[in-house]
Amino acid sequence: MTAATVVSRQTQDYLAAVEHELADLSAEDRSALLEDLALHLEALAAEDDDRPIAVRLGPPAAYAADLRAAAGLPARAAGLRMPTLGLQERLVAIRETAAFQRVRPALHATRGLLAELRPAWWVLRGYLLVLVPCLLKSDGVRDFPVPAPLGSHVLGLLLVVAAVAASVALGRRSFPRWIGACVVFGGLLLLSVGAVVGQHAWSGMAARAAAADDFAWVPGPDVPSETYPLLSRYGPVTDVLPYAADGTPIEGVLLYDQDGRPLHVGVQQWWADSCLRFLSQPRAADGVPVPNSFPQAYELAPGNVSTMGTPMAPGICVKNIQRPEVPLPTFPAKSAAPVPGG
Amino acid sequence: MDASQLLKGVLDVAVLAVVRDSDGYGYDVVRRLRTAGLEDVGDASVYGTLRRLYSAGALTSYVVPSDEGPHRKYYAINDRGRSVLEDSTKTWRTFADTVDGLLTGPWVAA
Repeated sequence: MTAATVVSRQTQDYLAAVEHELADLSAEDRSALLEDLALHLEALAAEDDDRPIAVRLGPPAAYAADLRAAAGLPARAAGLRMPTLGLQERLVAIRETAAFQRVRPALHATRGLLAELRPAWWVLRGYLLVLVPCLLKSDGVRDFPVPAPLGSHVLGLLLVVAAVAASVALGRRSFPRWIGACVVFGGLLLLSVGAVVGQHAWSGMAARAAAADDFAWVPGPDVPSETYPLLSRYGPVTDVLPYAADGTPIEGVLLYDQDGRPLHVGVQQWWADSCLRFLSQPRAADGVPVPNSFPQAYELAPGNVSTMGTPMAPGICVKNIQRPEVPLPTFPAKSAAPVPGG
Repeated sequence: MDASQLLKGVLDVAVLAVVRDSDGYGYDVVRRLRTAGLEDVGDASVYGTLRRLYSAGALTSYVVPSDEGPHRKYYAINDRGRSVLEDSTKTWRTFADTVDGLLTGPWVAA
């Protein structure tokens, strides 16, 4: 086992800071001094003393300066100092403050807890790697809890298992610091995107749950699609039921939106009697279907079968669908436009 | 008087004296110096001194692998180191006697 594999993160940081201070020395001097320091740090880490290394040995810059002086090597020229050095020194100074020493036990406990949670994070990371892209692609197929890439939950399950295994393997390996930083950054990015997409998906689920008691609830997407071009706050709109002011149901009403475009709605796939129906739109004189004629005209499928394709008992499938009870406003018996100034 | 300034001048001879008795690795030398009474000796100063003495040819080094902990890099004094230590010892005795004489001589009280 080499020295570098066993020293903790703290000792690695200290070693890197001293190495930075010795950067101008010859490779022979530098490697000899750093080898001694690495062994020394390992020996210190093995002791029952939880003071930070920077407190036990002093700031890295001071340590390096003593090392140079005792070894008979020239002091480092001030002009050679890199801008990042000041940051490292400031961090060391912060670690040595009384305030930091007071919160250090809590930081130690937090760090220990995070270390224990790492395996759980590895599993979550693998799961999110498959789930997040599926949530981003709105294909109308439910992706939670089992993601369905290409519409297949089986494929999603296999991918999740593979991704979790890879994530755990990744977590158990040690990498150079810059690669480790990339992995951490990627994980945080995945978590952030997952949180945003998850929150959005949860809002959609909550909205659909609120509409679950309604008659015409239809599972569907959260954004308009070709299948469900019109959405309300309760989910996809599959029909419009017009009434006259006196409450009389009206058939065959042509509806257009604010720009004069024919109003299109999604096809209804769920019915109170569970019987399969087909949309039978009225046709214009030239034979072209008129999709914005409301209410939408559905006809029972021949043979009285359920939406699942199984035969239904006689009498269950009804040709005429009852309109739901709706609270209609009551207008004055004789309505007239108000006269200005009258 | 700041003892750390005095220590800088005699650290070479102190380190050589420690490894003359038996070979030692860096941290071991630090601890032996502290146990002997040089409690303020800095880790970096000892390691730097070991490196300088090694570069000057007064010490040799060898690595002892360990299955349980980090391997250790031992320093051992050689003939050149013993010669340096002998000369340094004479210099120190002369210097210490001179300072002793200054501190205890009759002209101090006068």
